[in-house]
Amino acid sequence: MKKPKDLKPSTLLLHAGQRPDSDFGARATPIYQSSSFVFPDTETAAGIFNVERAGHVYSRITNPTNAVLEERISALEGGIGAIATASGQAALVLAITTILEKGSHLIASKSLYGGSHNLLEYTLPRFGIDTTFVDLRKTNDIKKNIKKNTKLIFGETLGNPGLDVLNIPKVSKIGHDNNIPLLVDSTFTTPYLMQPFSLGADLIFHSATKFLSGHGVVIGGLLVDGGKFDWSSSTKFKTLTEPYEGFHDMNFVDEYGPAAYINRARKEGARDFGACMSPHTAFLVLQGIETLNIRMERHIQNTRTIVDFLNSHQSVKSVCYPELENHPDHELAKDILSKGCGAVFTFQLDGNKETGKKFIEQLNLFSHLANVGDAKSLVIHPASTTHHRMSNDALKNAGITESTIRLSVGIEDCDDLIEDLDEALTYSTRK
Amino acid sequence: MYYFPAKKLKKNSEPIVFIHGTGMDHSVWTLPVRYFLRKNRNVLSIDLPGHGKSPGKLISSISGFSDQVFKLLDNNSITKCSIVGHSMGSLIALEMASTQPHRVKSMSLIGTAFPMQVNDQLLEFAKSDVQKAIDVLTFMGYSNQARIGRNKNPGMWMTESTRRLMQQSKKGVIYNDLLACSNFKGGLEKAKKVTAKVQLILGSNDFLTPTRKAIDLIDNFENPDVKEIVDSGHTLMTEDPNKVLDYLIELL
Repeated sequence: MKKPKDLKPSTLLLHAGQRPDSDFGARATPIYQSSSFVFPDTETAAGIFNVERAGHVYSRITNPTNAVLEERISALEGGIGAIATASGQAALVLAITTILEKGSHLIASKSLYGGSHNLLEYTLPRFGIDTTFVDLRKTNDIKKNIKKNTKLIFGETLGNPGLDVLNIPKVSKIGHDNNIPLLVDSTFTTPYLMQPFSLGADLIFHSATKFLSGHGVVIGGLLVDGGKFDWSSSTKFKTLTEPYEGFHDMNFVDEYGPAAYINRARKEGARDFGACMSPHTAFLVLQGIETLNIRMERHIQNTRTIVDFLNSHQSVKSVCYPELENHPDHELAKDILSKGCGAVFTFQLDGNKETGKKFIEQLNLFSHLANVGDAKSLVIHPASTTHHRMSNDALKNAGITESTIRLSVGIEDCDDLIEDLDEALTYSTRK
Repeated sequence: MYYFPAKKLKKNSEPIVFIHGTGMDHSVWTLPVRYFLRKNRNVLSIDLPGHGKSPGKLISSISGFSDQVFKLLDNNSITKCSIVGHSMGSLIALEMASTQPHRVKSMSLIGTAFPMQVNDQLLEFAKSDVQKAIDVLTFMGYSNQARIGRNKNPGMWMTESTRRLMQQSKKGVIYNDLLACSNFKGGLEKAKKVTAKVQLILGSNDFLTPTRKAIDLIDNFENPDVKEIVDSGHTLMTEDPNKVLDYLIELL
């Protein structure tokens, strides 16, 4: 009997989903920059449309380059399938709307990326989907806020920007006890630092713009299905358990079993909302993923050095990073983030808003922009940018003050980064 | 016994019965079933007792499963049918076609072999640590190439999808099914009794039922049509769904 030898993550990063091109032997993934695909005959066309044959029709729904990326992220996450989307935000919308509709409710973390918060707080209520924001550390608050129509719990593996570590085993258990799946945004952790499915999450999405592509050159998202949640466990998930008129009365659970969710997401959400990824973007994300492990190692190494530097600097009031003992989730991080807690973190300058402004403007290597997860180091002032639409209370809940600075540490030589930070700190806090 | 689509069968139309393999359910046949439904054929894609949506106790022998499928046909007043069976399902098809030859018009045996002897260690895993058995079955169930991916069905990661389907099976199902395959006897004699038109679809890179283990079976059928899918492993409906469908259309 052959002993199972599943390919290791470092191999999957380079190979999963792709074999050398059958026409010309291209080793790299070809970019299938084609809106549509020729059918050999009318009968085959009917067969592909009726999902009785495998194949591609139109790149809004599937594309061969995107399919490689979708398989690769599924393989890395231990999922059954994925959909590449136009952005991380598009992946979140797709994740939610596949199972929630008018009259549905979800529970989300209080500490979310500003864009996700806007979607849940202001936009989705216009479509009849309501959110209760809770501190996901407080399990009783989650339980208290579960309603009959609660269909999803959503949090970030590492909250933005306070780096709350999501206790996936605990939160998913509460969800599962109440027939509710857990969706996580794993953008900050990537499959290199954590496999949320193995901890209990049911659905994962990524902003592929960040560490996965890794070079700040694309906008893209990925939604991955773990295939473990039992959608038939209650009558809540009608989009998956009842006939869908929009696809010849297809009952997704009946026809696709564990793959019901991802098939509905593609056959409805990708088809109708149309927020697809460009094949060229998929190619660039694949190029980035090939070196994910090596980059993440360096990101973490640099971050640890910089965290230590800032933590002992006289002009820094505090540093928020789960590897520090004073972080509220330090013990949990040791348990579920043993390889590191990412390369994005915040610190409080000893000063006011003006000090923060001076600090950012004085930096030379750190670029001031609204992104994270680039190979180059980045900096931003969340209260005036990424999170500026949040109320004071919401900012407080997310651990953001006027003097909070967020860094995304790149893979440059760390000595140069520290020198840049030191100079800016000295200049900005000079009396 | 549950079958998909859960609709009343058309009268006077010989149905096609799809029978899944170890630890699986009717969802492995979604693609070909959709084709035959579009062509207005009667289809029963069944969940064997204790599998998928079918209630009932597990049945510990291939002949027992065969009896249950005949019972379902009787309950629906079906006197004759065609059968498509994968792996364990192919043995059930063989049993049905040999015990009541007049009721089986044609059959396609996909990923088949005789004997379908199961390794003792795998049986032990299935009994005492089912996850290990699922890992072995998933690993050996795919060709070397398919383990790297490039699914013809876009965006789906094949090995994990199969693993998940088996993980959904009820307690004891996988051990029961593997034992039933292992204990199935007299396959060659049974093959001789078959009067139905026979097709075998085999994967050249199948580690669970290698093509060489189907040779005796092939020799004992009368004029079987043997199709080999180059580079496919045991999970042929996932690895090369379009070729499998083309071959089924040819037969059915």
